[in-house]
Amino acid sequence: MDVHDGGSKAPHGPGEPGAAPAGPQGSPPDPADPRDPPPDQAPPREARTGIAALSLRYQIAVAVTLAVVAVAVCVHIGMVFLHVAPSNTVTKQHGRAIDDWIYPEFEQNWKLFAPNPLQQNIAVQVRAQIDTADGGVRTTGWYDLSAEDGRAIDGNLLPSHTQQNELRRAWDFFVATHDSDNRPVGLRGSLSETYLRRIVLLRLERDDAAGKGGAIDLVQIRSRTTNVRPPQWSQEKVSDEPVYRVLPWWSITADSIERDVK
Amino acid sequence: MNRFALGVSAGIARVTESALGPYQTAVIRIGFSGTWLLFLLREFPHREEMYGPDGPWSWGLAQQLVSDNGAFTALLWSDGRFWFEAVYTLAVLTSVLLLLGWRTRTMSVLFMVGVLSLQNRSIFMGDGGDNVLHLMCIYLVFTRCGQVWSLDARRARLGREARARGEHVPDRVGPALWGVLGLALAAVTLSGRLFDGEEFVPLLLWTVWLAQALGWLIGRRAKTREPRILLDVVANIVHNGALLVIMAEACLIYATAGWYKVQGSRWQDGTAVYYPLHLDYFSPWPALADALAASGTMVMLVTYGTVAAQVAFPFTLFNRRVKNVLLAVMIFEHAAIAVILGLPFFSLAMIAADAVFLPTSFLRRLGGWAARARGRLLAGMGTGTAGTPLPKPRAPESAGHTASAGDPGGAKDAGGAGDAGDAGDAPVGFRA
Repeated sequence: MDVHDGGSKAPHGPGEPGAAPAGPQGSPPDPADPRDPPPDQAPPREARTGIAALSLRYQIAVAVTLAVVAVAVCVHIGMVFLHVAPSNTVTKQHGRAIDDWIYPEFEQNWKLFAPNPLQQNIAVQVRAQIDTADGGVRTTGWYDLSAEDGRAIDGNLLPSHTQQNELRRAWDFFVATHDSDNRPVGLRGSLSETYLRRIVLLRLERDDAAGKGGAIDLVQIRSRTTNVRPPQWSQEKVSDEPVYRVLPWWSITADSIERDVK
Repeated sequence: MNRFALGVSAGIARVTESALGPYQTAVIRIGFSGTWLLFLLREFPHREEMYGPDGPWSWGLAQQLVSDNGAFTALLWSDGRFWFEAVYTLAVLTSVLLLLGWRTRTMSVLFMVGVLSLQNRSIFMGDGGDNVLHLMCIYLVFTRCGQVWSLDARRARLGREARARGEHVPDRVGPALWGVLGLALAAVTLSGRLFDGEEFVPLLLWTVWLAQALGWLIGRRAKTREPRILLDVVANIVHNGALLVIMAEACLIYATAGWYKVQGSRWQDGTAVYYPLHLDYFSPWPALADALAASGTMVMLVTYGTVAAQVAFPFTLFNRRVKNVLLAVMIFEHAAIAVILGLPFFSLAMIAADAVFLPTSFLRRLGGWAARARGRLLAGMGTGTAGTPLPKPRAPESAGHTASAGDPGGAKDAGGAGDAGDAGDAPVGFRA
């Protein structure tokens, strides 16, 4: 940033907006036009302006403000630092205070592709059991919803969050809130199940999975994890066998997808 | 000791007497509001799926989560379709107005309300770019980011000119806006919805609203100029504090991203960059990704370069020249990420955050180019008004300034326009 006060030691640098309203009369030409910026060094004014022009009472008020803002800024930066830092001595002792300060509005995570980038493609797939129009029951094939997302992203300069984040993050959310037997953990576990149900249902409806007159009765979701093939120039070998995580069949009732629950 | 005392006093003078970085704060204002605006327009066809009451992350689900985490979102005040559309529309509108710098302080608050309302409504929809905007929209509220490149600055200039001619130009829009927003705030508070969750955002809304009233009252009634100066100084201190937080936040983003990478085996063995290029969700141009990843040496150089740049960035701030070089590298890298990994809005938000470190001389030149390009464009359309650097001449409404208050106005441009979007944004620039 440019320095406007020319390093003046006293608290009456030129051109502080604070003093402008009632400043002395020497009024330079209006420089507010950004196309035509004035020289950086404005002519200094003689009168005492800025905080030096204030009486003691007001100077104390300024000092208090300065102190409060300085402390708030330091504490905030410190808290954010501790929030993004790895678990350490301080965060173990004061984790609660840090969380209270940070959540909900200052939560952040900048481990972008770190410590290691994801090296697997995780595809979410779904199939449905349909009550057909003629009273029969039919099971569809697997719909690869992530592949649908991938096709929508291909050649797209502006991918939508609905294509890039919705399903991907919903599955992350599900995995994070379920144990290895796919049992939900806490409130968030059950929220994530409902969320996932609603997403796959929306997608199945778009793909017209139920067909004419049919209705989706049950859905089953699985994830298919494949390793990204190592680069050609590398000697590494990884399995290219996909690994599946298959969830149980879920019923689609109004309650389970919260259709009318408000 | 003496030198130390002088240093402290010079420092105090700097942070109290002016809102530093007028161009930097203006450019991030434009950057963040522009990013969010483009995002909202891009997602307009998908808005219901993302944030609507019947989207996959339904109103009821959001309600349960938010009652647990206490985040602020106006979208949960009602589950009606109309309310949702109104909030989305307002978010678009306030982004435009903040970008233009119209009633900057008020718009920065409404902009924050829009960002938080949509993002907190569906937290599983966002990515790093949303996270950047989420934080920065809060920090922006504390800055005087309309000092330059804004309609407020223009209004302040016209007001000064009018006063120099001895005219009296009352501001009617300011008090009206303030009144309407006050009524809305009171209504939501009385309905019990505003303070449902964490108090931070609701308190911030009330604080800004009251501060604007105070600025107006003091501008009108104060017998001495001291209260006015005090308010101005307070606004400067808060601005400078927020600017520091914004810069620190940008540094923390890079530092975290860099230091965690150092610990990763893929970043160590020089192959890391290859992998995101081959994730289905981040490879809109598979052929391009293959071409870029064809050479192992290149991949390694980019991998190491990325880590080095991210880790080094905060430290380069101590050297202007190195900082500027690295800044250019970062902006270029983000521009590349926008296309190659298909993350345009994340990249735009990061570039906007980077811009807070751009040198004033460069920003001024940028402003000059923009103004000239605009002038030529308007001239081409035959509507050019040579004298106005900012769009659409509006009726000057610069406040109940008394003509006698001759305007000693900015010895520097920033100062001159400073209060326009500020404490005063307020009904009446308290400079009156």
